[in-house]
Amino acid sequence: MFRTTPTRLASVLALTVVALMASGCASMIPGLYPPTPVTAQGHDIGNLYDIVFLIAAAIFFVVEGFIIYAVIRYRRRPTDTELPPQIHGNNLVEIIWTVIPTVIVAYLFVVSWQTLNTVEATSQNPQVHVVAIARRFSWSFEYLGPDGKSLVNGPDGKAVELPGTMVVPAGQTVRLSLHSPDVIHAFYVPQFLFKRDVVPGHENTFDFTVDATDAGQTFRGQCAELCGVGHQGMSFEVQAKTPAEFDTWLQQQITQAKAVPSPPPSGKAPSGSPGASPSAPPAAVSLDLTAKNVAFDKTSLEAPANQPFDIKFTNDDQGTQHNVDIHKDSPTGQVVFDGEVITGPDTRLYQVTPLPAGTYAFVCKVHPTTMIGTLTVK
Amino acid sequence: MATTALHPAVPAYRSGLYEWITTTDHKKIGILYVVNSLLFFFIAGLLALGVRAELAQPKVQFFAPDVYNQLFTMHGTVMIFLFIIPILAGFANYVVPLQIGAPDMALPRINALSFWMLPLGGILMFTGFATGGAAAEGWTGYSPLAQRAYSGTGTDLWDVGLVLIGTSSILGAVNFLTTIFKMRAPGLTMFRLPILVWTVLVTSVLVLMATPVFTSALIMLFIDRNYGGHFFDPATGGNAILWQNVFWFYSHPAVYVMVLPAMGMVSEILPVFSRKPLFGYKAFVFATAGIGALGFSVWAHHMFTTGAVFLPFFSLMTFLIAVPTGVKMFNWIATLFRGQLIFATPMLFALGFLTMFLIGGINGAFSAAVPVDFALHDTYWVVAHLHYVLFGGSVFGMFAGLYYWFPKMTGRLLNEALGKLHFVLMFIGFNLTFFPMHMLGLAGMPRRVADYSANAGWSDLNLLASIGGFTIAASMLPFLWNVMLSLRNGEIAGDDPWEANTLEWATTSPPPPYNFDHLPEIRSERPLFDLRHAGAAHSALPAKYAETHS
Amino acid sequence: MTASGHALTTEHSPVAGLAHDTRGGISNPILGMLLFITSEVMFFAGLFGAYFTVRASTNPWPPGPEQVGEGMAEKFNLHADPYLAALLTVVLVTSSFTCQLAIWAIRKNDRRGLVRGIAVTLILGILFLIGQAYDYSQLGFGLTDGTFGTTFFTLTGFHGAHVLGGTIMLSVILYRAMAGQFSARHHDAVEATSIYWHFVDVVWIALFSTLYIL
Repeated sequence: MFRTTPTRLASVLALTVVALMASGCASMIPGLYPPTPVTAQGHDIGNLYDIVFLIAAAIFFVVEGFIIYAVIRYRRRPTDTELPPQIHGNNLVEIIWTVIPTVIVAYLFVVSWQTLNTVEATSQNPQVHVVAIARRFSWSFEYLGPDGKSLVNGPDGKAVELPGTMVVPAGQTVRLSLHSPDVIHAFYVPQFLFKRDVVPGHENTFDFTVDATDAGQTFRGQCAELCGVGHQGMSFEVQAKTPAEFDTWLQQQITQAKAVPSPPPSGKAPSGSPGASPSAPPAAVSLDLTAKNVAFDKTSLEAPANQPFDIKFTNDDQGTQHNVDIHKDSPTGQVVFDGEVITGPDTRLYQVTPLPAGTYAFVCKVHPTTMIGTLTVK
Repeated sequence: MATTALHPAVPAYRSGLYEWITTTDHKKIGILYVVNSLLFFFIAGLLALGVRAELAQPKVQFFAPDVYNQLFTMHGTVMIFLFIIPILAGFANYVVPLQIGAPDMALPRINALSFWMLPLGGILMFTGFATGGAAAEGWTGYSPLAQRAYSGTGTDLWDVGLVLIGTSSILGAVNFLTTIFKMRAPGLTMFRLPILVWTVLVTSVLVLMATPVFTSALIMLFIDRNYGGHFFDPATGGNAILWQNVFWFYSHPAVYVMVLPAMGMVSEILPVFSRKPLFGYKAFVFATAGIGALGFSVWAHHMFTTGAVFLPFFSLMTFLIAVPTGVKMFNWIATLFRGQLIFATPMLFALGFLTMFLIGGINGAFSAAVPVDFALHDTYWVVAHLHYVLFGGSVFGMFAGLYYWFPKMTGRLLNEALGKLHFVLMFIGFNLTFFPMHMLGLAGMPRRVADYSANAGWSDLNLLASIGGFTIAASMLPFLWNVMLSLRNGEIAGDDPWEANTLEWATTSPPPPYNFDHLPEIRSERPLFDLRHAGAAHSALPAKYAETHS
Repeated sequence: MTASGHALTTEHSPVAGLAHDTRGGISNPILGMLLFITSEVMFFAGLFGAYFTVRASTNPWPPGPEQVGEGMAEKFNLHADPYLAALLTVVLVTSSFTCQLAIWAIRKNDRRGLVRGIAVTLILGILFLIGQAYDYSQLGFGLTDGTFGTTFFTLTGFHGAHVLGGTIMLSVILYRAMAGQFSARHHDAVEATSIYWHFVDVVWIALFSTLYIL
């Protein structure tokens, strides 16, 4: 019978693998490849992923190949009446298969360290400095000048946080500082191939540069560290503009913030609203709503159209979290208001921006299947 | 056969409930451990089905986010602390004294105490569901999320339950080490110990050194939550990263606690069903010790994205730990080479372990490369990785051991056809569930999300994973049916149904109290092989073993 | 392995191994206790690790008047008044010696010496606990007073709990010693308890040095 020696087998397998690689294995299985990076740092990480993937795939095919080969070749046959040779080991092969993996992992360590240094490198003078504030369960962004002071300020001189969307100039270095007032979150944009934890009491800072060619694109980002019941909905967007467009946009924000006392949440689905701010004047209409025993005390509410109104929300469930979201049309429709989640017993005054007449649903996002009611705006 | 059976083969223990509750016999305690752990396995499996059912489609269908968070938190905690760790301890409890020719564990009453803390801890944890919600911070319980301000009584019960379970582990480790050091049969030197015993030894050292640190962390958390302490909450001067450091100082070695004994079982099974000795026995021992030692210097690779750890050191150590693991893999494969492989169910599960654990090792290397980890950390990639290690590795290894030692424990063999059906269903279901998770993670799906957008492009892969999850559940039906059937009508096993190598097969199935009447001579790590082939295989044996046969 | 171990190859009596080790050297309960103490060392290592992490990130340590106010800063300044703690250290170290005297006595089969030694050790242990309770009542700050209070009370509290555990073990040993249950050949429980007591002593010395001197 033809006996394949392990060495010959290994070389055959290795050749197969190399052939596979040469034909662009990574691109053949796009599912096993990260999204196309859109930042300078992301490109470095993507290149490192390529190297790790190629080596991993080669090891996978060779070792699984050996296992499958052994299983087929050395299955017991009816003719096997004597014991196979009782081999206890071989020091030479032990040394070989200790040294080879050591060399491979040493190489991987060195290349990943090199990539780490380029990814972690910080610029002397980044063009833009943004502070991302992650709080349960929303993101907002402050823009800082070269002196480290906020650029976008209200008439009272206080920094204004812009909710939901981070606008950055493409092709320029952006410094991002991460700040959390409550629990740990993580800033994660899949197309950056990067994430960094937002740790309360410990400010993390890193630089990134969106490719100049990606101006005009929007990237989806999301909290990647479990932060409570609203974790899955804690998303944000990164909008890349050309530097000129970015400057115009920033000037606009600065003027707008100065003019408007309290910036209303943006019209489209806000990832979070500032909730009650005590300085704001009370609205003309105030609705009462109470959550008790994981249910709302009312199943329908009415509010006037096209003018702001308040919801005085009381959570009477000890230790349980509730909030009020308002959805357009149906409980699964577009979110037009997102109230802060509170742990009972507690009360919040939600200030809802003017809504056009129509039917809405109010939902507790912690219990979206059971705590539902209808809000009629007319 | 020089071994004599004191008692004829008897069916499974028929003693009464009182006997089971008060027993200090390591075999009964071992069986209690296994049964208890399997119960928690099925409960935690149901929780996982809840998770998969919810994620099969976008939008919230079955579980609101607060309940969903409890589901995966309890799934992870129970699988790790009440299933994998204790079931491996249970097999070790049953097998180790037998393999070293001892009549029982060194400290039998402490052994019983260690066991009974487990169901108590488990019940405490589950009472959380009745007190306004179980723990919901993930099994990692990161502060400040686990502080009083953000979580309820369930977290306290989780905390206290884990202290109990940890104490159980520590006492078990003390017992294993004392037993292995002090109770070995004459002639059984350290380098003749079965590999399973070696892995239990190293595992016990890890438990002894690491678990108390976790206990201290849990106690600090309890003080924070209930007595106004300031350890982990930055809002009051504490340090959120401190929890992660002490938590992972335990929980990374815990990964080896969960996988080393499974490696030991596979190292027992592969030689028996290949009809060859384990290739590179000493290399195996050194690799096991090496994994144990390196296991203490890699904990911060779970914290690469915190921006608060020294990255190159932990990256290097994490890469290095692949070397002894690789050595083991190559030795297993070399054990198969030129053997005569018999594909009984234990062997199938052992081969399943080899092929799947390999993937769990390889996809771990991605996360050791720190910048790649920046992309993959806390995504479904990590969920895929940890399940290839703990399910593809530990659970496949555990089932290999279960099919292998079931005849020793009960006196009856499990049915082969049902066993193979179980294996095939589980192997397919496992890959269907967890392979797509690599792709989900790369595509940016974070772990621990109750819902995802229909526009994210994750729906199909999630559906696939959910189908796989239910396939795994289905594979448990032939297994359970097999156990029921075989306990009553299974083929009588006899002392040594597999023609195995180690001492547990030198006594009756099940063994009598205090295990042995006579022990065979021990002159190698395979005393039963030596006995069976005394003379016949003489020439095949290396010279160092040859002179001992007379 | 001993020569007698070989002789047991054919006549190995498994039941004998349960009650008593056949291989000579250290006995099962004592090895068990040593291993358990290893785990206790790691438990305290976890608490000390937390303490040093907090301490390293707080400047100055103990927190000064700017951080916590004049009155609290004065109370936190344990270095200024370590005398009661030093006295307690002397009490506990002395008890370690008396415990060892008891061990040496029973190894020579001196049962009266054992009872005497254990009784003195127990009294010193209780004295320590009373002293610590008094100290707590005089400190003027509590567990909730910042990271300093939390770490101080957690460390000393868990040590105190271990001393309490040790005194309970000593009481049992004293009762059994007075009942004449120990002899030169059979006193594993005494040895194990004394090892534990020495460990508790060493932890206190580490605590005293860290909290009051360093």
